[in-house]
Amino acid sequence: MTKRKYQICTKCVMDTTDTKITFDEKGVCDHCNTFFKDIKPNWHPDDKGWQEIVSISDKIKEEGKDKDFDCIIGMSGGIDSSYLLYLAVKKLGLRPLVFHVDAGWNSEKAVHNIEVIVDKLELDLYTEVIDWEEMKDLQLAYFKSGVSTIDTPQDHSFFATMYKFATKYDVKYILTGGNYSTECIRNPLEWMYYQSDSIQLKDIHSKFGTKPLKNYPVTNILWHKVWLPYVKKIKLIRPLDFMPYDKEEATQFLVDEFGYQRYAQKHFESRFTKFYEAYWLPEKFGYDTRKVQYSSLILTGQMTREESLERLKTPAFDKESIKQDFEYIATKLGISVEELQSYLDAPNKTYKDYKNQMSIYDIGAKVLRILGVEKGGKR
Amino acid sequence: MLAPRIIPCLLVHNKGLVKTVKFKEGKYVGDPINAVKIFNEKESDELMVLDIDATVENREPDYKMIENLAVECRMPLCYGGGIKTVEQAQQIFNLGVEKIALSSAVLENPSLVSEIAKEVGNQSVVVVLDVKKKMFGGYDIYTHNGTKKSKVSLEDFIKELQELGAGEIVLNSIDNDGVMKGYDINLITKLKPLIHTPMTVLGGAGTLKDIENLVSEFGIIGCSAGSLFVFKGKYKAVLINYPKKEEKEKIIKGIK
Amino acid sequence: MIGIIDYGVGNIKAFANIYKNFDIPYKIVKNIDDFKNVTKLILPGVGSFDHAMTSLQNSGMREELDKLVLENKVPIIGICVGMQMLANSSDEGELKGLGWIEAEVKKFDKSKIINAPLPHMGWNSLNIQENKQIVSALDSDPRFYFLHSYYFECKNKEDVIATATYGEEFECIVNHNNIYGIQCHPEKSHHNGMQLLKNFGELKC
Repeated sequence: MTKRKYQICTKCVMDTTDTKITFDEKGVCDHCNTFFKDIKPNWHPDDKGWQEIVSISDKIKEEGKDKDFDCIIGMSGGIDSSYLLYLAVKKLGLRPLVFHVDAGWNSEKAVHNIEVIVDKLELDLYTEVIDWEEMKDLQLAYFKSGVSTIDTPQDHSFFATMYKFATKYDVKYILTGGNYSTECIRNPLEWMYYQSDSIQLKDIHSKFGTKPLKNYPVTNILWHKVWLPYVKKIKLIRPLDFMPYDKEEATQFLVDEFGYQRYAQKHFESRFTKFYEAYWLPEKFGYDTRKVQYSSLILTGQMTREESLERLKTPAFDKESIKQDFEYIATKLGISVEELQSYLDAPNKTYKDYKNQMSIYDIGAKVLRILGVEKGGKR
Repeated sequence: MLAPRIIPCLLVHNKGLVKTVKFKEGKYVGDPINAVKIFNEKESDELMVLDIDATVENREPDYKMIENLAVECRMPLCYGGGIKTVEQAQQIFNLGVEKIALSSAVLENPSLVSEIAKEVGNQSVVVVLDVKKKMFGGYDIYTHNGTKKSKVSLEDFIKELQELGAGEIVLNSIDNDGVMKGYDINLITKLKPLIHTPMTVLGGAGTLKDIENLVSEFGIIGCSAGSLFVFKGKYKAVLINYPKKEEKEKIIKGIK
Repeated sequence: MIGIIDYGVGNIKAFANIYKNFDIPYKIVKNIDDFKNVTKLILPGVGSFDHAMTSLQNSGMREELDKLVLENKVPIIGICVGMQMLANSSDEGELKGLGWIEAEVKKFDKSKIINAPLPHMGWNSLNIQENKQIVSALDSDPRFYFLHSYYFECKNKEDVIATATYGEEFECIVNHNNIYGIQCHPEKSHHNGMQLLKNFGELKC
């Protein structure tokens, strides 16, 4: 089979390392076109949007007025969730419980940032610590499987835990920092398959894991896309979509007002995710998630294509520290550097090589798009 | 000026970190390696890591874990748990650990202190005494995670340990452990006059003010804490924290 | 290539980890064959003076070290008891020191130390007196970790680079030609300690 000729979008910086990408006659990719066609017309980061979120907040406050807190906000220590907390408390007058999932990979910066935000806003923090021995085993299983989505154990545990918590304490509103402004283009499925697919998680675990998953929280797509919203009536809200959200402005604001410390790149709150996105994905698979992030910022006018191309010329990982990072990852996983290297060198696999619920996701996505509940979405 | 040492104390149980209350009900805190790494990045003065299973299970220290923790520390690290012989102590020092902490082993065999001190120097031998209030005043020494009461008198034993060459004595209050309402000031007031080596106290710190008060009252003393540096807020959310430079300076200023 | 002298005393791994992180080539030196290609030396030290001197003598490296340091002028830094060994003798012990720097090692005067014990243990500030390369790029008020009951006293005060205070002011960093000594523990003093060790590693020789 002939290898596809390299092509890069003329508008953003997505290219044929996303092997499913298509281009129109102007050389504009399908990610951009989906944004223009499906997302932009239905996205109102303006007065209209603001009125809407104020109205939603009023409802949240009313329903939660006799409780200790009226909503939950998931906090990773990253910019989006940190800014969201400020917004929720200071601008929308909400009383959130701050929820943090510790999967064992917190960077010191993340811990610092969570502390300064929670302290200054005088909020209550709740942390769920994932059983490290089980997490370690599951992460190692993912390395052995050869798939690209090796951050699934962390991501899956994040929302599984949060949803379980919401159900347990009967909290009806979960606010997340997810937003179109910096995430209107999503990682292609080929790069990052659905982390919520529990069939795949269990299959990879059964083939390569050595410890039973007793404490590790497993969720599944039907539970949190159907049961929780439609039966338990737990709503997921993304407030940052209802107003203009400029990443650099938000970051500088957090730095000035809270003593927030910047990360080198999105998702670098977690030492593992930093290693995964900056090194493992590009080196093993040729997937550079910065292309996705920068492309989103290009489409929303926060970065120019030229600046993006310039930044992409240098690798995402820091050449000086990568050796130590590699060693740290190996040590923490309880394996040698050589063993970790062997996983890096092993043949690449895809999600199709293991059991998966892709068919359910396909149906679900179509249904939700038809119902207008979701715009865009992963492909 | 010399600053009082502020020392996070981490307990290892089943390979993971836990935090107890009065030596019971361990709450899971997570992976030891990442916690130690964060304390190092926060530039902690020192760190104490105690394996609370080793003695009870009568097994060797987990050398691999100790080695992995030592690699992350650019500050002195003290390890305790299951050390009974000079050879074990030496092996642990070779892994890059500065101090070893002895507890139950010295009650059975006090000369272990001088045997190890002879090899590596007094400064590297720390004795941790877990103590609980007696019914009618005074304190008893306990071992095996607060389950076995020793017949040895606390005051006599402290005197003996210093004669044997202990480099540091840590008084760990079982009654105040994890309660976070302040150190046992009575315990310290009673025993400090008997201790001429460096002394550290552990058990009860709930806020930085507790450390400030401790230092203001007793001057140069080791201030150790577990819960304070690992929990946040009323839900005891696990979030590693450590006083910043300005907060430490405030504590130093309080020394009379 | 930095040679970290392993004569059975001191935290060898701590130095190794730091130079590894800086990507500065180093090796552990356990016998005279290991000195090959070494251009700088680190002499760690903890515990008692006599014990350290005896261990060094028993390691079989003493004569070669004398030659490398005194004749070949290989830069060397003695840490804590390793620094004290550079002197002629110590109040703490019976044995003679290396005698590479004209100095004596004295015990702290306890009467001058108010409300604090011996050893001097914990983080204390350095008072930098000479702006030499070894102390470049440190904090304006650099703090290091100390653990000792005895201190170094140079005969020639020009050899003193930095002092610290515990009851009284004492010499903390000294330098005579190619020989350096530091009383505190840079390998356990976070960023200032790492910077100092980096400075030593980058000294032109």
